[in-house]
Order: sequence, then structure tokens, then C-alpha cells
Amino acid sequence: MIQQLTKFERRFGLVISVLVAGAGLTLIGMSEDGLLAIHGTIILAAGFIAALLTGGTIHEPEPDAKRLESYYDDPIKFGIIVSMIWAVFGMFMGVWVATLLAYPEWTFDAAWSSFGRLRPVHTTGVIFGFGGNALIATSFHVMQRTSRARMADQLSPWFVLLGYNLFCILAVSGYFMGITQSKEYAEPEWYADIWLVIVWVAYFALYMRTLARRREPHIYVANWYYLAFILVVAVLHIVNNLAVPVSFGHIKSYSAFSGVQDAMTQWWYGHNAVAFFLTAGFLGMLYYYLPKRAGRPIYSYRMSIIGFWGITFFYMWAGSHHLHFTALPQWVQTLGMTFSVMLLVPSWIAAANALLTLNGAWGKVRDDATLRFMFLAAVFYGLSTFEGSFMAIRSVNALSHYTDWTVGPVHAGALGWVALITFGSFYALVPWLWKREGMYSSKLVEVHFWLALSGTLVYVFAMWNSGVIQGLMWRTYNESGALAYSFNESMVAMHPYYIARAIGGLLFLAGAVVGFYNIWKTTKMDTVQSSVPSGDGLIADDASHSR
Amino acid sequence: MEIEHGALVYFSKFYGLIYLLLLSTGVLVYTFWPKNKKRFDYAAKSILTEEDHPHA
Amino acid sequence: MFNLHYKLEKYSIRFAVAIILVAAVGGIVEIAPLFTIDETVEQDPNMRVYTPLELAGRNIYIREGCYACHSQMIRTLRDEVERYGHYSLAVESQYDHPMLWGSKRTGPDLARVGEKYSDAWHVRHLTNPRAVVPESVMPSYTWLEKDLRTKDLGQHLAALRKVGVPYTDAMIEHAAQDAYGQANPDSDAAAGVEERYGEATHIRSFDGDSRKTSEMDALVAYLQILGRLSDAATQTPPSAAPSTAESSVTEEAPDGN
Repeated sequence: MIQQLTKFERRFGLVISVLVAGAGLTLIGMSEDGLLAIHGTIILAAGFIAALLTGGTIHEPEPDAKRLESYYDDPIKFGIIVSMIWAVFGMFMGVWVATLLAYPEWTFDAAWSSFGRLRPVHTTGVIFGFGGNALIATSFHVMQRTSRARMADQLSPWFVLLGYNLFCILAVSGYFMGITQSKEYAEPEWYADIWLVIVWVAYFALYMRTLARRREPHIYVANWYYLAFILVVAVLHIVNNLAVPVSFGHIKSYSAFSGVQDAMTQWWYGHNAVAFFLTAGFLGMLYYYLPKRAGRPIYSYRMSIIGFWGITFFYMWAGSHHLHFTALPQWVQTLGMTFSVMLLVPSWIAAANALLTLNGAWGKVRDDATLRFMFLAAVFYGLSTFEGSFMAIRSVNALSHYTDWTVGPVHAGALGWVALITFGSFYALVPWLWKREGMYSSKLVEVHFWLALSGTLVYVFAMWNSGVIQGLMWRTYNESGALAYSFNESMVAMHPYYIARAIGGLLFLAGAVVGFYNIWKTTKMDTVQSSVPSGDGLIADDASHSR
Repeated sequence: MEIEHGALVYFSKFYGLIYLLLLSTGVLVYTFWPKNKKRFDYAAKSILTEEDHPHA
Repeated sequence: MFNLHYKLEKYSIRFAVAIILVAAVGGIVEIAPLFTIDETVEQDPNMRVYTPLELAGRNIYIREGCYACHSQMIRTLRDEVERYGHYSLAVESQYDHPMLWGSKRTGPDLARVGEKYSDAWHVRHLTNPRAVVPESVMPSYTWLEKDLRTKDLGQHLAALRKVGVPYTDAMIEHAAQDAYGQANPDSDAAAGVEERYGEATHIRSFDGDSRKTSEMDALVAYLQILGRLSDAATQTPPSAAPSTAESSVTEEAPDGN
């Protein structure tokens, strides 16, 4: 793979690797608290390995010029495999932490394995490890195909992917050691945050440079969503992580914001991470792979544009619905609530657009589990956005907030929407990319589908029940006007649901393992001698209708 | 420099609304501008091609 | 690839700028006014800052991820106020970098847990929660009896001062000594803590072992101060007492606003 890079790219890669290794050494040298030295060592090792790989091939000849006649897909393949590894890891951690809530003793008597440290490992593993790598990999695919242009260079996609995974490893290894900022979904400390900014700038530059080479007059709408994902996540990440380190030798930093301002900034970030990481990016996936797999254009291109600007615009206002009835000023709460409800419009436009695209191709949805993954993802997208808006209403939120009811819809979105659209896209993409006739086993795709669906349903219903029960128990009064239940009683009532949740998660994890096996086996199959993407033998049907 | 809280809130609310209206109109006009229809139709179908190599 | 003057096409750049602009406005409109919020919320000039020991405890609370299951934000709802105490005020977390309001109550809210239980209860509960609360699902924190790292607490205080917490030079200079003194009431260092942080400061051996200053000392010291840094919530705010609202106008606003 490295021989594919030009001599210049290999040399430049070597320089970057040495710089990264140097940064690792610097952190080790500056470390005052020991922990920074451990992370410095990880960075040093990463830089060292990359330097060996690039340096070892530095005298190899220039790659064949014929490579320029095809798209550059090696990093995409790498990204898909890494994403699936993170999926299995992150979901396993999820099942473990879910089990700990039912059986708190099912862990080791060690600091690293306590619930509080494992929980961010799960969230970061699935959101950033699985989801992030899937977004980066598919965006590399979509940007090239829709632009009909090869990626602008061969080095920066590797820098982006490897650099991003270094960030994920720093994040996750840090949690085990207790390194965290405590900001939810933005836990990594200052040095990891700075590194992510560098990686992200390279990502954005690569995207823009590839778009600039495009041979199509119009930028296809999927790219819009990917671009919004890249840009807005950058803004969110930088603002929310503004902090002052104790010193450059300490892992610890103190947030630039405090109290109300910090809460608002954090949930402005947290909510929009859902919007632009877990929604916009994956809508980009949906708008490319669903029409492609179904072999018919998107139902209404106009709807996709309206939906795009609606989501880009409305989401930013909605974060404060996480802070109803708190010390946040009332008008900000109301504003957040209003926009959350309005958000339903662009969200459902997107979901409806996906479903209407499939309208008339229901036979395919029935027969093709891959397309069914995407179909179900659109359904869950519609469902969880509805619930999101519903729960942003103050009176509903009064009951649901702080309970498992929040955890339910989050997972309806994360499992039902994000994970299913990713699996669907991967099953479509893997045979195209590796030039295989189809997936290794379409039966296993089917198995994965039913495991994923049943896991999601069990999970979501368990959390709906426990959340509502919990919320009601906390606010129930007895005849004498006193609170009827102690907090402990509400905890006891949760126990059966926590078991059910762990089982649901286990089913979903089993599906991901099956999927990983299937994808892995597919990469080991023989290549078909045809440049035509076959898509499991699906042929484009009436591709003529549009609105 | 001290900015008064009330003024800032007023500014936020008032111009936030104006901005919302203008933006919505802009997006709708762009989307339904008759001249754009051909471009959108072409874009929607452009991804369905079966060739898998970049254009020179 | 690396010729930097590669002409980035104007159209896609303009498009990227449009995305940022459209997206950024909502955040600015909502967040910007919050930075002038001081003018509208209750003030408490007497609110004290965290002592170095409490701050170290807070950092342990963050390190162990306690915020994932415990909120520190009592909402303005009747049942919450009856269960946990007076609803949380903005001023009470003004020195919290970052805030720990939380988003989930797998365990109960802790905004006002300070002095609700004894130190010994906390130590037992943290070491083996199910020995005290049989139905608890909290992890056992058996690794907190190690020595607390105090030598760089001064740097921590200095960093917090940079983001706006009013630590004095004396506090920063004596941080490590104060952390030791607060958990060792019989030592010479104890007096300095009271002098710098006020008489109401808890000065005692929190983990029951005065031979060393442990992480347990720090964490319990932090838990015992939750909700007690400010008495803004316990004093009836003038605006909340309708009958005296008018008469209180004259007493208020010494700065003439």
C-alpha cells in the first residue's frame, strides 16, 4: 500500500512521522505527573511506526502512473475495517457497562474497570471510533465518486485516518487512567484536543481540494452534509474545549467557562454533536448509498436541500432543552424548546425523502437485507427525531430528564439510525470497493439485520419502561402529601429493565460481530473482473422519475 | 466595555427572528427557482452511473 | 498536491462559509447573552472558593466519572426541592470549571449532599456501597486510600485564577500546605486554612486516619462542601417574598442600578 504513495509523499510522510514522534518525546520530557508521559509514549510509538513504514519504502520506485486513472480507495478500505473493530470494541464496552448497572460486582477490583471510567470508553468507542471512522471512510468514497475526481493527494487521507485513530486511542486509554475533562462526549484533555484540530484541518483541506477538482458542475447534496459535519464539528470542538492547562506538564486543564455559561456551552456542543456528527454526516451517507443501492434517484432533490439548511440552521438553537428547569434563564430554555419542535420539520423531510425514494421498490426492500438496513435506519431516524422534539417540551422534560427515558431515544438514534445506516452502507460499499460479486454471505447479512433489529427494540423498550417508571416514582406523592418512594425504591424497580437492556445490547453486539466476520471474509474472496459495481446483482430500474 | 444584558437579549431575540425569516425565504427561493430545477434533476441522477473511474 | 497556490475554487469556499455562518448564529444568539448574565442573577459576595483539598477531591470526582450517574442540579420542581433541597442557583456553580450539573440520575442528586451524612458514612459507602445501601449499584472505590498528590495544587489554583476564580497569592502559595492542614486539624498547618478560607471551613480528618492525607480525605471533603459554599439559597431572596418586594427595593442596589 505504501508503495502507492509517490516518492515525495513518502518523504513528506516521513517528516510528519518524525514530527509526531518528536511531539511524543516532548510530552514525555515535560511530563510532571507521569500520566502525560504515558500518552507521550503512545504518540512517540505511533510516530515511530509511521516513520518506519514511510522511511522503509523511501527508495522504492515511483508508483505506476496508471493509478491516476482510478479512484484512491486504499484508505477507505482501511477505514471500514478499523470502524468495524471499533464497533465491536465499543459495543462490547456498552454491554459491559449495561451489565454493571444490573450486577455491579461483575468487574475487576481495579480503578480502570469501574463504571465511571468505562462509560466514556463505551461512548467514545462507538461515537468517535465506530461512527467517526465510518464517516471519514464513506466521505472519502462519496467525495471522489460524486466529483468524478481522484482524491487530491494520497498522503493526507492517511494522515486524517491514522491521526484520527491516534486521537481515539489517546481518548480511550486516557479514560482507563482517569484522564477526562468530564465534559460529556468531549472528555479528552487539552493535548488530544489540539491534535484533533490539526487532523480536522487536514480533513477539511482534503475535502475542499478534492471538490475543487470535480468534473461535475454541481456539488451533490451528500457532500453538503459531510461538509457541514466537518465544519460545524470543528467549531463546536474548538469552542467547547477552550481550557487552561495546569501546566504543559500536566494532563489536567480547567475549562475556560464555569457554571451556567459552561453548562450552556457544553450542551450547545453536546446537542450539536448529535446534530452534525450523528445526524448530518450520516444523512450524507443516506443520500448517497440509499439511492445507489436502490438504483433510483432520491425522491426529491429539493427536499434534501430544504432539509439540509433546516437542519444546519435549527439545530444550533436547540441545545438548551437539555437544561429545562435549571439555573439557565427561562427565555433561553423556551428558545431551545421552540426550535427543538421546529426541528421536526427538516428531520422528517429527510426521513420522508428516504422512504419515498423506496416507494415503488418495496420488493427490493423485502428481498435485499442491505437495503432493508437503510430503510429501517430511515424509520428509526424519523422515530428518534420525533421523540427528541417531544422530550424537548418542558412539561415532558420535567418527567423524562435525568431518567433512562433519555437513554432510550439516544439509543434508538444510535443503534437504530446511526449504526443501521452505517452497516447498510458498508454492505453496499464493501463489494464495490473490493470488486467482489457480493458479500461473502447474504444469509449472514440477513442474520445481522434481525439481530440488530431485535437488539434495538429490546433495548429501547426496556429504557422507555424504566425511564417512565423512574420519572413517575420520583414525583409520586402519597395521601399525606409526602413523597411516596425513596430513591432506593426507584433503583430496585429498575433492576429487571437493566437486565433487559443488557440483553438487547448483547444481541446488537452479536450482530456487529457477525457483520465484521462477513466483511472480513468478503475481503478475502476473489476479485470479479468487471469495473461495474454490481451491488448484489441489483440492476438500476426506472431511474427516470424525479420531482 | 459593558454591554447591557437586556439590550443584548433584545438584540438576540429580535434579529434572531429577522434572520430566521430571511434565511428561510432565501432557501425556499433558491430551492424552487425554476432555473435550478434542471441542475437538481441532473444531480439526483448523476450518482447512478455505473462507471467507476475519475474523469480526466 | 502540495503546491499551496492550488486554486481552491470559489464556489465551494463560499459554500463552506455559508454553512459556518448559518450554523453559528444560533449558538451566538443563545450563548452571548449568558456572559452578561451576572447583571440579572443573584449575587453572593461571601461565596468562598474551593479549598485546595476540596478542589483535589473535585478532581477525583471527575476522574472517577461520578458525574455520569449523579447530577448536581436541583430543578425548580416541587418533588425535587422536597427530595434534595432548595433548587440550585446559578451563583452556586460560578466557580465550577467545568460545571458538574450532570445529565443522568442513576444515583441521587448531590448538589446539596454536604453535611447530610457523616464522614464515616461516606468513607464506608465509597469503599463498599452495598454495605451501607444494599440496593446500590455504585462501584466500590477501594483505591482511594493512597496518598493525595498535593505538591502541584498551587499550580492548579493558579490555572483556575487564570479562568476567573478569585484565588489570592497567599492561597496559591500555601496550597499544598493547606491541603495537608485541612485534613490534619492538630497540625500547625490547620490554622492557615481557617485564616485563608474562613471559619466555616471543615477542618478535620475526613477519612478517620490523620496519619496521612489521602485521596479519600479529599473526596469526602469535597462531598461535604457540596451546596455549602454559598448561603444564597438559604437566605430568602427579596424578589421571592412578594409582601416585602417593594420595601426591599430601597435596601437593594448599593451600586445605584
